[in-house]
Amino acid sequence: MSDLGTEGWPKVGEELKSQTFGPFGPDALARYALVSGDDNPLHLDPEIAKLAGLDAPPLHGMLMMSHFEPALMTWIASWRRDVKIAKLSGKFLRPVLAGQAITISGKIVRSSLEPQPHLILRLMAHGAGRDLAILAEATLLPRGA
Amino acid sequence: MPGETLALQAGGPRTGDESTAPVEMMDPVRLPPIAVDTRGAEVEAFARETGFTKPIDFVPLTFPFRWLTLPAIRPVIKQMIGGDDFLPVHEGQSFEYQKRLRKDAHYLMGLEFTREAKPPRLIIRGAISTPDGEPCLTMETILRIVPVTQGTP
Repeated sequence: MSDLGTEGWPKVGEELKSQTFGPFGPDALARYALVSGDDNPLHLDPEIAKLAGLDAPPLHGMLMMSHFEPALMTWIASWRRDVKIAKLSGKFLRPVLAGQAITISGKIVRSSLEPQPHLILRLMAHGAGRDLAILAEATLLPRGA
Repeated sequence: MPGETLALQAGGPRTGDESTAPVEMMDPVRLPPIAVDTRGAEVEAFARETGFTKPIDFVPLTFPFRWLTLPAIRPVIKQMIGGDDFLPVHEGQSFEYQKRLRKDAHYLMGLEFTREAKPPRLIIRGAISTPDGEPCLTMETILRIVPVTQGTP
């Protein structure tokens, strides 16, 4: 990784190449329930999902949100910048149902080198049909800041 | 520590028959810090299921969320949302790091629960620090509370 400098520093409006994860079938949801401890039957039992008005169990919101980090790491690697993810926040807007994949995309909404270099990214996770499942934001700072 | 229900501090719900009754509004409830850890095998299993395709030598940013499912925490959340007749729907989540967590390390997590009435929400704020008291991160979880019979939004 290079040191921070103005050359090649990501600019506002720059769009980040979308990345797709999944699809997440029932087995993937069961495995996530095991490793996360979130065994809410809404995500695992089709009958309970039906009671909630859904055609299939929804993916865990945190399963989707957790995929932002590997997506960010791919983007950060392409910039060749030594930055870290200091903050990640998101709102869960629509469910994505079992069997679907998610596509993560992003855009630079703030880029500054002064007084401290930082980037703010708008992140989105879409399910099938381009439904916006998560609208999120990440703040990146130089490692060591 | 897991498996044990912690005593609530200041303004917490009542115990006994009232414990799962819906709560209209209450002061924030704070739990004394509990011990949590980042065992390597658990971190690696979590990473494999959350999009990391290669072995990692760090702890994923969202890993601390799983601590809300610990046996010491889960009953408190259930109690705060009003019991089995209500369902928590995850509306929002944030993590703000001061210091990255290390694998195979021990930490302390303090939690504060705030119940909002309109619309009904439970907001959980967590602060994780090293055993020496060095702050590592804060996180906030926003849960919308819906009656089970009404279904999820």
